[in-house]
Amino acid sequence: MDPTSLIQHPTLTWEAVNDGAVFYSRRHVYHMNWNLGAGGGGSDLSGYVVAAARFGGPIAIIRDNSKLIALGRTTFTKPVILVYSSAGTQLASITWELSKIVALGWTMSEELVVLNEDGQYRLYDLLGTTYRTYSLGPEAAETGVVDARIFEAGLVALTGNLSFLEVRAWSGSKPTVLSSPVLTGPPITWTIIPPDQTSSRHAEVIMAVEGTIYTCDNLEHIDQQLGGSGPFTHIAVSPNGRSLALLTSSSNLWVITSDFQRKILEFDVSSLAATSSTSTPIQLAWCGSDAVLLSYPTTVVLLAPGGETLTYHYVSTPYMVTEPDGVRVLNKEDCEFVQRVPDSLEKVFRPGSTAPAAFLFDASESFARNASSSSSVGVGVGSGSAGRARTDESIRALKPDLAFAVDACIDAAGREWDVAWQKKLLAAAKFGRAFIDLYDPRPFVAMGQTLKVLNAIRYYEIGIPMTYQQYTLLSPEELLARLTSRSMHLLALRIANFLSIKPDAVLKHWACAKISKTRPDGGIGGGIGGVSGTAEDDEDVARGIVEKFEAMGAGAGSAGVSYAEIAKRAWESGRNRLATALLDHETRAAEQVPLLLGMREDGRALEKAVDSGDTDLVYQVLLNLHKRLPLGDFFKLIEDGGPKVAPASRLLQIYARDQNREMLRDFFYSDDRRVDSGLLLLEDASTQEDLTARINSIKAAQKFFSEDRERGFEARMMDENARLLALQQTLEKDVDGKAAFVGLSVGDTIMLCLQCGLHKRAEKVRSDWKVSDKQFWWLKLRALTEAKAWDELDAFSKSKKSPIGYEPFVRHLVSKGFHQQAAAYVARCDAAKRGELYMLCNEYRAAGKEFKDRGDKAGLSELVRTCPDRLIARELQGLLSSM
Amino acid sequence: MPASVASEETSTKPDDSGIDILALKELAKRSLLEALNSISGAKTLVLDPSLVGPLGLVTEVSFLKQNGLDKMFWLESGPLNAATSNIVYLCRPKIKFAKIIADHIKKHTTAGDKHIYSLILTPRTSTLIAQILEEEGVLGEISILPFNLQFIPLEEDLLSLEHEEAFKEIWLEGDETSLYNSAQALLTLQRLYGLFPRIMGKGEHAERLAKLLMRLNAQQLPAPGVPTFQGLSEKLDSLVIIERRVDMVTPMLTQLTYEGLIDEFIGVSNTYVELPANIVSPPSANANTTQAPALATTPVQAEKKKKYQLSSSSDPLFGELRDLNFAALGATLSTIARRLSSDYESRHNAQTVAQLKEFVGKLGSLQSEQQALRLHTDLAEMIMPYTRTQIFNSTLEIQQNILASYDIPGQLTALEDLIAQGADKRGILRILVLSSLISGGIKTKQLENLKREFLQAYGYELLPALLALETLQLLQSNPLPPSQTHAQSLRLPFAALRKQLRLLIPESEGGSDAAPTDISYVYSGYAPLSVRLVQCVAQMNGVLASLGSGQEGAKGKAKADIKDPAELPKMNAHPIVGWKGFEEVITTIPGPTVDIQQGENVTNPGQTSKILALFGVPGLILASVFGNEHTSTTTVVFFLGGCTFTEISALRWMGKHIKGEFDTSGLAKLERYSGRRFVIATTGVISGNSIVDSLLPKVKVKPAPVAGGAS
Repeated sequence: MDPTSLIQHPTLTWEAVNDGAVFYSRRHVYHMNWNLGAGGGGSDLSGYVVAAARFGGPIAIIRDNSKLIALGRTTFTKPVILVYSSAGTQLASITWELSKIVALGWTMSEELVVLNEDGQYRLYDLLGTTYRTYSLGPEAAETGVVDARIFEAGLVALTGNLSFLEVRAWSGSKPTVLSSPVLTGPPITWTIIPPDQTSSRHAEVIMAVEGTIYTCDNLEHIDQQLGGSGPFTHIAVSPNGRSLALLTSSSNLWVITSDFQRKILEFDVSSLAATSSTSTPIQLAWCGSDAVLLSYPTTVVLLAPGGETLTYHYVSTPYMVTEPDGVRVLNKEDCEFVQRVPDSLEKVFRPGSTAPAAFLFDASESFARNASSSSSVGVGVGSGSAGRARTDESIRALKPDLAFAVDACIDAAGREWDVAWQKKLLAAAKFGRAFIDLYDPRPFVAMGQTLKVLNAIRYYEIGIPMTYQQYTLLSPEELLARLTSRSMHLLALRIANFLSIKPDAVLKHWACAKISKTRPDGGIGGGIGGVSGTAEDDEDVARGIVEKFEAMGAGAGSAGVSYAEIAKRAWESGRNRLATALLDHETRAAEQVPLLLGMREDGRALEKAVDSGDTDLVYQVLLNLHKRLPLGDFFKLIEDGGPKVAPASRLLQIYARDQNREMLRDFFYSDDRRVDSGLLLLEDASTQEDLTARINSIKAAQKFFSEDRERGFEARMMDENARLLALQQTLEKDVDGKAAFVGLSVGDTIMLCLQCGLHKRAEKVRSDWKVSDKQFWWLKLRALTEAKAWDELDAFSKSKKSPIGYEPFVRHLVSKGFHQQAAAYVARCDAAKRGELYMLCNEYRAAGKEFKDRGDKAGLSELVRTCPDRLIARELQGLLSSM
Repeated sequence: MPASVASEETSTKPDDSGIDILALKELAKRSLLEALNSISGAKTLVLDPSLVGPLGLVTEVSFLKQNGLDKMFWLESGPLNAATSNIVYLCRPKIKFAKIIADHIKKHTTAGDKHIYSLILTPRTSTLIAQILEEEGVLGEISILPFNLQFIPLEEDLLSLEHEEAFKEIWLEGDETSLYNSAQALLTLQRLYGLFPRIMGKGEHAERLAKLLMRLNAQQLPAPGVPTFQGLSEKLDSLVIIERRVDMVTPMLTQLTYEGLIDEFIGVSNTYVELPANIVSPPSANANTTQAPALATTPVQAEKKKKYQLSSSSDPLFGELRDLNFAALGATLSTIARRLSSDYESRHNAQTVAQLKEFVGKLGSLQSEQQALRLHTDLAEMIMPYTRTQIFNSTLEIQQNILASYDIPGQLTALEDLIAQGADKRGILRILVLSSLISGGIKTKQLENLKREFLQAYGYELLPALLALETLQLLQSNPLPPSQTHAQSLRLPFAALRKQLRLLIPESEGGSDAAPTDISYVYSGYAPLSVRLVQCVAQMNGVLASLGSGQEGAKGKAKADIKDPAELPKMNAHPIVGWKGFEEVITTIPGPTVDIQQGENVTNPGQTSKILALFGVPGLILASVFGNEHTSTTTVVFFLGGCTFTEISALRWMGKHIKGEFDTSGLAKLERYSGRRFVIATTGVISGNSIVDSLLPKVKVKPAPVAGGAS
C-alpha cells in the first residue's frame, strides 16, 4: 500500500493562472476558536474594527461604532478590545476607559497600540496587563485626532485641523508635522508607506483628495496630477513599498509604481462576475508584490499579474491581513493563507514538472516504495532490484543538477506545511545527498531544526501561522520574544535551547511574571518553574528564580541574566525583601548599585560600588548620598563603613578638594585628622596672594601639626616658615622693593642678602635659622661668584678655615667659567689633587709642575696628551722625559 | 659585512612577530571617529593639553580636519571664542575641566552666543563630570560622549595608557581609576588575542587588578549555556603584573641607557623630545617632525625648540641606539659612521650602469640614515656635558654605594654637600628615598636634619611633598614613630634580595657595556628588581647566572672577548610555570603574590589536542595542526603605576636572549618554544623625576630671581 495516497497532495490547494505558469494556493490554516458574539459587534467580522499584526500575529477587534447593530443581551457602557491569537484563542480583554478610539494597531514587538481622539495612545503588552501611555501633544489634544494609520515602527495621525503628525519609535517622542496641502475636508481615503520603505526615511502619506492623489512627506507634498481619473476610494501599498493599487469610484483598479511614474495594470473590476451584486469592495490588499486581492462580503477576488482572476468564496465577511509573502484571510469560521506557490514547491510538485528536483523526489519516492514493498512482501525481490536499478539510473542522469535538486527539496520542505510532505521532501534531499561527494550538511540540518520550530508554533494552541519566509525575515530571537510575551515561557525556553539561543530574555520575563503572579495578596503562583503554591514566601520565590536560572546555565558569575532588572521589578511591586534577596545574586555592580540606592540601602550601595573597583560608580553613590543626606549622616555613613569603604572616603576627598573645600575641612575635623587639616591649610596658603593671609594659614597649619605628637618637626618648620615670610617682608622694605624676597627659601634669602650687600642680615638669617656652617659657606661661595665679588670672596675664604675645604672653590668657579679666579685657590687644596685641579683651571704649566713634584708620570703624560697649547705641550714633554 | 649592528636586531626577531599591537592604534582611531561623527557639521575642538601627546600618537591633524574639525584651542580657563556653532571638548574626566567648561557655557549664554556643546570624555563617560556640570547648571546644554582611548602602541613592543600620574593617584590619593582603566585595556587585549593562560603578579594592587580583570571578563562573556568563543590565547602565554610599589628602588636610580638619559636630562613625553631647532632642523622631508607641532594649537612659545619623535618606526637608527648603555653609545655611533662612509664609497666601485643604478637606489636611505646619525651624534654631545658634571658623578657614586649598603651615613653626608651645591631637588629626594628603602629607614635624627636642610635650601612649601613621601612609605625614619610601627613589616628586605636575585653584578660578570651578558648593564651593574621578578617567571636561568658565566655555549670564550652581541649564547625559553623555584624569595617582598591560571572551564587548544590524541591522531600531525613549529610565545608584562625606559631596555634585552627549546615533557606542552617575545604594557613611561614631580606642589609661588639658586 502506498501511504502517500492517504494524505492530501499539496497541489490540491493550488490554482493555476496564466496558462499554468503561476500557481496560487489557498491553504486552510485554522478553524477559528473565537466567539465573535462576545465582542458586542455581532457574530460577523463586519461589525468590528479589526487590527492584526503581521507574521501570523495576534488580532485585536473592537465593536465598530459606525455600524448599526441590534443591541442584544449584552450592552456596554465602555468599549472592550478583545485580543485573539491567529487561531481565535482569546489572549486578552481590555476595557477602554478613555475617550473614543480612533485606531488600533500593532508594533513590531506585538504591543497593541490604541489611539484615541484626544491624541493619547497606549501601548499594551500582549496580555493586556500593563501599558504605557503617551500623547501626541497639546495641539492634537485640542483639535482632536480624526484618523490614524499605525505601522510597526510608528504612526501617522490626521488631526482635526487636517494636518498629519508622524510619531517614530514607541518611546513617546515628540511628533513631527508632515507637509500637506491645504485640505477642505478629510481625504477620501489615505494610507502610508512606512519609513523603512521610502527614500526620505520618513513616513510618506498617500491620500486621495477629490480627483487626484497627493503624496506627502516631512519636506514636501506633491499633487500626482491624476486629475480626471479619480476620485479614488481605495489605496493599498505593496509589501515592498514599490507599487500601489488604487481603486477608482468607477471600479477601475490601477496598479502603478509608488513614484507614480509607470502604470503597470488597469483593470475594470465591475466586469467580475462574482462581484456583480456589490460594486465597492471592502478591502484592497496585496498578495506578495505582484497580485492584488479585493474582498467583498462573501468573496475574495485575486487579480494575478497577467490580469487573470481567481475567486474564493466565504460564508461570512472576510478580513485580509497582508503578510510579507501572502495574505492571511480571516473570517468568522476560518483562518486561511493565500500565497503564490513558492518556486521550490512548484518545481517539485507541478504536474509534469521536468525540474531536477521533481525527478529526485520521484526517484526517492519510488526507492522508498520499493524498499517497503520488498521488505514487506518478500517475494518481489526481482522487481525491487529492478526498481532500484532504475532509480540509480535516473539519479545518474541527474548528476550535474543533483546538488540543485537537493537544495530545492530542502527549500520545498521549508515551504510545505504538511508534516508528512515535509518529511518526504527531506527524505528526498537526504536520498540525493548520498550521491554527492562532499555535500555541506548544514542547510539540511538547519532546515530540520527550523521545521521543528515552525510546526510547534503553528500548532493551534500556540496559533502563530508563520511561513518559512516570514520566520527568516523575523529571526528566531524575535520569535522567542513573541512567545515570551504570550507567556509561553516553557516553549520559548525549549526552542531557545534547541536553537542554542541565549534564553536570558525569556528567563527574565518569566521571573518578572512569576513575581507578579506570586503577589502575597492572593497571587496564583506557578509558571514554568513548576512551583505550585499560594502565597509563596519571598525567599522561596527568590530561590525558585535563582535555581531556574542556574539550571538554565545562567547562574551567578556569568553575564547572562541581570538579576538587578528582576529585582527592580520586585521592588516596584513593593516587595523589598524579595528585591534584596534577588539583588544578592547580581554580579554586576553597575546594575546593582542604582537599585540599592533607590531602595535606600545606602551602606550596601556604597560597599558594592567600592567592591566593583569602578571609581565612577563610587562617585555616583557618593554624590547621590551627599545630595540626599544631612552632612553629619553622610560622614557617619562613610566612617561607619570602616576600611571597607576607605577608597570611597579617599575619592570623596579628591572631589571635595576641588569642589567643596569647606566640606573637606569639616570632614577632616570630624575625623580628627590634624595632619590632613594642616596640609589643606598649606594648600590654601600656596594660592594666597595676600601675605598676611598666607602667614595666617601657615600659622594655623602649624597649630594643627603641633597638636599631633609625632609632627613636632612639621610644626617647627612651619613656624620657621611663618617667621621667614615676615622677615622677607621687612627685607623688601629695606631694599625699597628693589629685590623680591618673599617666597624664597632660607638659602636663597641668604644669597640674595649677600648679593644686595646686606651681609649683616645674611649673618642674622644664618644664626636665626641655624644654617650649618657647611651650607652657609657654599651659599656664600655661590652668591659671591654670582656677583663676581672676587675681593670679598678672597676675604671670605681667609676669614677662617673653610669647613668645606677649598676644592669646591676651584670646582665651582671653573663650572661658572672663572678659571683664572679658580686657580688662585688651588694652592690651598690637598696636594694630591692640585695637578688635576690646575688642569681644570687650564693652568698647564702649574699642573705640570705639580705632577713633576709628586712624581706622577701617568698624570703628566695625560696632561701632555690633552694640552691644547703646542708650545706648552712641548715644554711639558721635556718635563716628562726628564723624569 | 657593514650591517653587523643592524643584523642583530633583525636576526634575533622571531619569524612571526606574535601579536600585532599596532592594531590597537586603529581601534583608538575608530573610537574617536565614532565620537566625532556623531556630531555633524564643522567643529571647534577644545582640547585637554595633557591629551595632545597621546592623541598625536593615534591620529593626525589631517584626519581630524577630514572629520569636520575647524579650529583647536587648549582647554584652559579664560574666554573662548569659537566661530563654529559646534564646540567639542575633549578631555579626561577631571573636575577642573568640568568647571572650565561650565564657565565657558555660562559666559556664552550671558553674551547671547549660541553654540551646540559636546563633551568627549576619555576613556569613558563619567558620572562625576555629569554631576558637576549639573551642579553648575549646564548639563542640559551639553551632550557627553565617550572616546575609548586605551593602550597606545608607542613601539611595536610597547603599549602605554600614557597616564603619567597613575602612581600618585593610586598610592597617594587612593584614586584607583587608572587601575580600573588598566583592567579595561587588558580586557581589550584579551578580546583581541584570547585569554592570558596565566596571570602572575606581585603586590596588593597587582592582585586587585588581576581579580578585577577576571571579574570583568566573566561579566562580559557572551552567553550562558553557549560554549564561549573566547578561548585561551595561543599567542600570549601569560601576563605578568608588576606593581610599581613593589620596586621603588629602580626608578629612584639614574637611568644610564641612551633613551633613559635623554629622559633624565631633557625629558621625553609621549615619545617626543624637545630639542634645539638646529639639531632637528635640516629641511627634512621626515613627516614625523611635522606631526607634533601641527597638533599644537597656537604657537605657544617662539623659542627655538623643535619636537622630535623618538621612535624606531620613524627613526630606525634610534631603534639600534636607544637601549645601549650610554658608555657604549660613542663606539656604536662611530661604527655606524664608518659603515655609512664605506657605503658611500661604494659608488667608486660602481663600474657598470646597473651597479650605479643600484647605488642610486640606496642613496635615499643612506641620506636619511646619515641625517639620523648626525642628529643622534648632536644629541649625544648635548648630553655628554651633563654626565661630566660633578653633581652627576657624585650622585651616581652615592647611588651605587647605597645600593651596596656601603657606609650609608657617609652617603648622607655627601648628600648634604649636594644640597649645599644647589643640585636638582628631585635628585636629592631620589637619593633620600633610595637610602630609606635600602637601609630600612634613616636614623631619626639624621633624617630630620636632612629634611630641615632640604626645606631651608629649596623652600618650606615642599613640606607637603616630604609628608607625601612618608605617606607612601618611601621616606621613613628608623625607628618608626609609634603610630606607624605596622609599616615595619612592609619594608623591602633589600639586602636579602640583593643576594638572592643577584641585583648587583660586578663588572667582571656583567659583560662589557657594548656586549652585556646581563640586564644589569642598564644601570651599569644593578639589575632592576622589577625585571628580575619578570625573569623569575620567564627566564629563570637569567636570574641565577649571567650569560657569560656558566652557560655551556660560552665556555670556550673569555667573556670580555665577545664583541658581537649576536655571538652571545642564549638562555633557554621555557614554559611559564609560575613562580616556581622562587616562591620563598618572592614571599619576602611585601604584598601578595599572584598566580592564576585562567579559563579552567574554557576550551583551550591544549585540551583539544588531548581529545584529538584520544582519537588516535598522532602527535606529529598534531603539532602541525595546532602550533606552527616555530611559534614563539609572547609574554605581556604590565607595569601598574608606570615603568622606566631602562626597565623596557632590560626586558628587550631578555627577549633577544631567549632561544628555543623542544619540550617533550607531555602532550599538552607540545608547542615548541622557539623564543619568547615580551610586550611591555604600562600605565605610562615614568622616571624618578616624574614620580617626584607629581608629588611636588603644582603652584609655583614665584620664580626665584636668583640665577643659579634653587629651581
